Amino acid sequence: MPNLNINGRNMSVEAANDTPLLWVIREQLQMTGTKFGCGAGLCGACTVHLNGEAVRSCQTSLADAVGKKITTIEGLSAKGDHPLQKAWVAEQVPQCGYCQSGQIMQAAALLSKNTNPTKEEVVAHMDGNLCRCMTYSRIQKAIMRAASDMRTASATGSERRAT
Amino acid sequence: MNKHVKNLAPEATDLSRRSFLVGTAATGLVLGYAASGIDQALAAPAPANFEPSVWYAIAPDGLVTVTCGKADMGQHVASTMAQIVAEELGASWKDMRVQLASNDPKYNDPVLGAQITGGSWSTMMNFDAMSRAGAAGRIALTEAAAASMGVPAGELVVRDSRISHAKSKKSMSFAEVVKSGKATKTFTADDLKAIKLKTADQYTMIGVSVPQLDIPLKVNGTAKYGIDTMLPGMVYGALVTPPVRYGATVKSVDDSAAKKLPGFIKAVTLDDKTTTTTGWVVAVANTYAQAKKAAEALKISYDGGPNAKLSSESLLTEAKRLQGLSDSGQFFVKDGDPDAAFGSAAKVLEAEYTTNINIHAPMEPMNATAEFKGDILHIYSGNQFATRSGAIAAGAAGIDPKFVVMHQTWLGGGFGRRLDADMMVPAVQAAKATGKPVKVIYTRENDMTMDFSRPLTYQKVKAGMDGDGKVVALSHDVVSAWPTARWGIPDFLSPSVDKKGPLDAFTVNGADFFYTVPNHYVRAIKNEMAHNATPSGQLRSVAPGWTFWAIESMVDEIAHATGKDPALLRVELLDGKGKNDGGAQRLRNTLLAAMGLAGYGTKKLPKGEGMGVACVSSQERATASWTACVAHVAVAPSGEVTVKKLTVATDVGTQVNPDGIRAQVEGAALWGMSLALFEKATLKDGGIEQTNFDSYTPLRMSQLPEVAVNVIANGEKATGVGEPAVTVVAPAIGNAVFNAVGARVRGLPITAEAVKAAMKA
Repeated sequence: MPNLNINGRNMSVEAANDTPLLWVIREQLQMTGTKFGCGAGLCGACTVHLNGEAVRSCQTSLADAVGKKITTIEGLSAKGDHPLQKAWVAEQVPQCGYCQSGQIMQAAALLSKNTNPTKEEVVAHMDGNLCRCMTYSRIQKAIMRAASDMRTASATGSERRAT
Repeated sequence: MNKHVKNLAPEATDLSRRSFLVGTAATGLVLGYAASGIDQALAAPAPANFEPSVWYAIAPDGLVTVTCGKADMGQHVASTMAQIVAEELGASWKDMRVQLASNDPKYNDPVLGAQITGGSWSTMMNFDAMSRAGAAGRIALTEAAAASMGVPAGELVVRDSRISHAKSKKSMSFAEVVKSGKATKTFTADDLKAIKLKTADQYTMIGVSVPQLDIPLKVNGTAKYGIDTMLPGMVYGALVTPPVRYGATVKSVDDSAAKKLPGFIKAVTLDDKTTTTTGWVVAVANTYAQAKKAAEALKISYDGGPNAKLSSESLLTEAKRLQGLSDSGQFFVKDGDPDAAFGSAAKVLEAEYTTNINIHAPMEPMNATAEFKGDILHIYSGNQFATRSGAIAAGAAGIDPKFVVMHQTWLGGGFGRRLDADMMVPAVQAAKATGKPVKVIYTRENDMTMDFSRPLTYQKVKAGMDGDGKVVALSHDVVSAWPTARWGIPDFLSPSVDKKGPLDAFTVNGADFFYTVPNHYVRAIKNEMAHNATPSGQLRSVAPGWTFWAIESMVDEIAHATGKDPALLRVELLDGKGKNDGGAQRLRNTLLAAMGLAGYGTKKLPKGEGMGVACVSSQERATASWTACVAHVAVAPSGEVTVKKLTVATDVGTQVNPDGIRAQVEGAALWGMSLALFEKATLKDGGIEQTNFDSYTPLRMSQLPEVAVNVIANGEKATGVGEPAVTVVAPAIGNAVFNAVGARVRGLPITAEAVKAAMKA
């Protein structure tokens, strides 16, 4: 039985090696925050992190995920308080909300490497994630807000260390 | 067992009766009714709760839980209902909670008498009922508090979930009053009607952008959609749908290869007496991944049926043929004598407008979970029309609809798609065939090719002007599949003015515009071929999505033909005379606001750029939200259109949640742009050719223009905002393209090729 490291825990699952990671996460582990949208890597609703990189879990086999650190929306933060999640509430981003786990996971991969993205970088990074409610402008605003909050937090952190 | 169905009226409706009374709250449909299980969680509060109305309960801890009977598909309607209740109740927003209603008829819409969500109707039709429910609770709590405090109720003030007496400085929280058990006052319908509601100047909650109650759940993965349903012992169904959209039959199913696959349970060929689906097979297996593999392994042969050779071209050809017949269709509007007026007109313009098939494609693919438990069929599926969907589920199961319980969830997008109930059929029949709860999930390919789509439409509009350029006659033929006729609910159809039988007003709404044209007719013509081959549905804004495309383009064409400014011609036509009094003036004012905000006629634009206007009501004249748009576009020599800015103004009367309204209007406007430029489905050999987001391509972030939303709240009664801004954008863009480069495109979507061809013409 394959073992998965997901959201910091090791869990054994029972499925064929070629099973899309998406369905293992949703059905076997019953973590339903990761969504099925297109099954073809065209919409981004199923985005999770593999070793910190945003991937489409509908296009990732169980075998490919074994031995890597998987993070889903449920594990992005301890209390749902990742700067992006807070910004998503502050900007009142979601409408139907179905794509938003994937949007947040996709954005989180960007901000983990670059907390000062330009608008163009945000668009280029997010363009594979569809939102049928068309909440795109609020998604952009929320990413910029979270990035700014992360920069402030890190600046405050270094000041503290300095003093 | 079944004590919950005891109180059903004997005439409990089933599909064969198909009776449906719109507008009569008292006699709403009695269909599937809430049973055990969820009701304790969703509907029936613990005894210690105070339940002043069916719409909410207050717990001893002071939390107010509003039960929303409308489908929440991202318009935050549950939160809106809670906000209206909270205003009159005097509750603090932090104490408000929401839950979603089952299909118990007690949660039927107070105006529509059924559970259906659409038409941008919810806020308008529930504002009064929710206000009165909230006020009733306040009155009951106040009287109980007055008794406890020993002070006159009339001296008490209610605010932020607390009831205070200024003179004695006594006060009680809602929690304390509920705990006291003294709040017991009940209200009859007449009592409720007699309550004097707050006036707008007394509002402290309506008009405030309080945070939407469903949003926290949607940023941490905990919001539950239909697809997230998990039941003990549940197995999964994957669909095999035929290559023909409608009319195919299964000749044979060879499951020998599927039988060798792990987890495979059974292949179920649907026997759909509701005629919602044709030729569908479900592969059932222990997991969805196994079910999908099994579905791929099934070898199915089909009879393609009568529509197997049809294409978009054949539907359009048939539409043109029907339009050309003098006795086609029925009249939706017939004012004056257009034929005579055309005879004496100084100038006549004629044009054809088309729209292609469009697919809803909400991000959550269609799905449903069905479980038979005792006599009761439980359905778990986010749905916009629980009343009818419950009946379809019952029809698929061969049971009486009163034994169906619909468990509502958040909807991963609706846009009208979840008014239809096709997903009930495979789930129910697979559950019946296997004796297990079954969750059926459509692949995106199933979802797109089996959509109840926005129909292909063909419209012919003719306008006659007198010697002064005044519009004296307008005729408008609308040929399409009839989405609402398909429902088989007579009360959703409208009488024709020429008394030729009922017509589907959901194909012509909007054509009964607020412009003053003395001689005006609108003819609704059913394209039977399209109706059969591409069973159509209600797509966000429905008919106004195509009727305003035609009308608002034609008004522009009239302006250019008569040497007038297109926006000022609209102002002239919105003179508020006769039946248009009131509405026309509001629309005129909204248009003027949008023009001012966009700098229409004042901004100097570079070559290749232009501005176009449009103004619309939607959906019905009686439920209009007045909406205008100025589109600013740039057109490349290749014909490629870039939308630089959409300026939208909308008069909604009264705003409940201003930020929520802006979100809806922006989303609607971008839907309009997506339909105008990027979305096109086609029929070939009876099947929809587009199968996923690589070939059907809604707007993405990189295509986002600047959108300026301006909301006019003038104190009139609250109207809906989910849809009107969809319809105004396509004609505004089309008109802007003409303004920019002189190219008139009359078909949606507006493609670079069409613009380039029109530039040359």
